[in-house]
Amino acid sequence: MSSSASPSSSCGGGPCGACKFLRRKCVAGCIFAPYFDSEQGAAHFAAVHKVFGASNVSKLLQHVPEHKRADAVVSICFEAQARLRDPIYGCVSHIVSLQQQVVSLQTELSYVQAHLATLELPQPPPAPVTSSGSPPPLSILDLPTITPSLYELSPIFEPMSSTWTMQQQPRPFDHLFDVPSSSTIGGSSELQALARDFLHGANSS
Amino acid sequence: MNPKRCAACKYLRRRCPKDCIFSPYFPPSDPDKFACIHRIYGAGNVSKMLQQIPVQTRAEAVESLSFEAKCRVEDPVYGCVGIISLLQTEIQKTQTLLARTQAEITVAQAKHSQTQVNEFM
Repeated sequence: MSSSASPSSSCGGGPCGACKFLRRKCVAGCIFAPYFDSEQGAAHFAAVHKVFGASNVSKLLQHVPEHKRADAVVSICFEAQARLRDPIYGCVSHIVSLQQQVVSLQTELSYVQAHLATLELPQPPPAPVTSSGSPPPLSILDLPTITPSLYELSPIFEPMSSTWTMQQQPRPFDHLFDVPSSSTIGGSSELQALARDFLHGANSS
Repeated sequence: MNPKRCAACKYLRRRCPKDCIFSPYFPPSDPDKFACIHRIYGAGNVSKMLQQIPVQTRAEAVESLSFEAKCRVEDPVYGCVGIISLLQTEIQKTQTLLARTQAEITVAQAKHSQTQVNEFM
């Protein structure tokens, strides 16, 4: 996909992907033009339009600072694609799957840390008869199980949201797509490949 | 106006028909739920989405739409994708810590074996 124009440019080279999809004239200062190029942008916009609607997305973007709009468009496209793939759960299913992975890993970590702690304890002198001299090994079954339900996500949602807005965290897309803040959705084939992998991974989880 | 209108029809200021697609999922006791969904998706889009899925799955769909809409209202830039990113970061951190702890166990076990060999000799 070719790079899109800078945010302040007009649609001199033909309609943007959004206006192409909407079959309307792409005016100078079109809010969608920097983020939906005329090639694959139309396909991305089709998904966004189907789920959110053009006017809703336009209003959303107008309320976002200009330097954040590229990220907003990427996340909106991701949600739209996820919703079209899974009309019932959208990307909530991916969140639940990741949450379960976190719980599983933390349980495993607790078990392993407890095991390490037993190894680092000073060992008693060896007994002549070793019938049951050592403590029974820890079993993962001894640890409490945590089974999150689909919608018990508010503990994740609320603190993470406030953490996100209150602290200077790196942008999610720095981690997800490893792109600088000035990039656009059409700016990098690597971004696209990563987004594809992410979406495929979300689809299979 | 029918006092038993669902939250959606109340918000949209219209009559609530008996077969209203929204009424099972938007009780009048929770007006904010529909307001949030309407703000992000629009009533028409939500209605179309619900019509395209089986009736027995619509409640779950509304809950997930409500969650995503709420995330988007709270975080207009990243929405619930921000949560996905944070969870992925947490997974990576935990995996790193797990690998490190497992390596420490290997070292500790090796030290323990060496100590036993030394004591034997």
